[in-house]
Amino acid sequence: MTDENSDRNFVDRAVRRLPQPTPSLGLEAALMAGYDAWKAEREKGVWAAVKAGLRRFSETVWPGAPVWVPASVLAAALLVGAGLGAALPVAIAVEQSGFSLEQLESFTLLASDTTQEEDL
Amino acid sequence: MHDPDADDVAKAGQGDRAAAARLIGRHAPKLLTVARRMLGGQAEAEDAVQEVFLRLWTHAARWQPGKAKFETWLYRVMLNQCYDRLRRRSAAPLEAAENVADEAALPDAGLDEGMLGQEIGRALDGLPERQKAAILLCHFRELGNIEAAEIMGISVEALESLLARGRRSLRSRLEHLKGFVGDVS
Repeated sequence: MTDENSDRNFVDRAVRRLPQPTPSLGLEAALMAGYDAWKAEREKGVWAAVKAGLRRFSETVWPGAPVWVPASVLAAALLVGAGLGAALPVAIAVEQSGFSLEQLESFTLLASDTTQEEDL
Repeated sequence: MHDPDADDVAKAGQGDRAAAARLIGRHAPKLLTVARRMLGGQAEAEDAVQEVFLRLWTHAARWQPGKAKFETWLYRVMLNQCYDRLRRRSAAPLEAAENVADEAALPDAGLDEGMLGQEIGRALDGLPERQKAAILLCHFRELGNIEAAEIMGISVEALESLLARGRRSLRSRLEHLKGFVGDVS
């Protein structure tokens, strides 16, 4: 056996004799507490970013007013918009689907011929 | 190459507590053994492990699985943490004083397991920090040379050189215990 192999085997055997440290009872709890603290900080960070974004938006829309004022106006506008959106498409659909004799009369062959001549 | 930790790292980064607990359960004891041997004291080793995990959480959300094996990264952070702490310590010749094995105190025979382990630990503590790290990674953690070299940020040749010098030095420091270490199968 070469010196190098002999050293390697000796160290292998020796190192196996080293005592294995036992983690203290509080270590795992401390590590989990570290994770929870990081997570809380991160979530606080996300919420803080959302709040700052809302504040900036509110300052642009309604400078000087508390956030609830533009938020209420926006909510009211959304409600009105949603109400109109729900009612109007029905009226438009009824209007588009109704055919009348007047509409048919407005279509003439002459009009289409004229357009073709212009193109030529 | 499948990284067995990749899923849990990604989940922990997204706030999954159970995934974080699995990573802690899998890696904290192993990291502690390395830190304990590198730093000497249990309390400081546990502090170092906590620091490593705090760094892990902040990096977990940005972890890119294909780049490096998670365990390699983790041990690298651990070793750097140990080096930083060792450097911060005063340059007092405490280490040198610890390293001298008191042969006179050893009985001729009947050295018990605990005492033998302590003697080996003291001899290991006397090695230069990089030789000690190389021996811990390759013999204690039983990592391959390539992975250990990657963790230490050196070439495989440099690692082999550190290992050869470390082994020789450790063996000569434990020469008086040859009989006890040698007859262990």
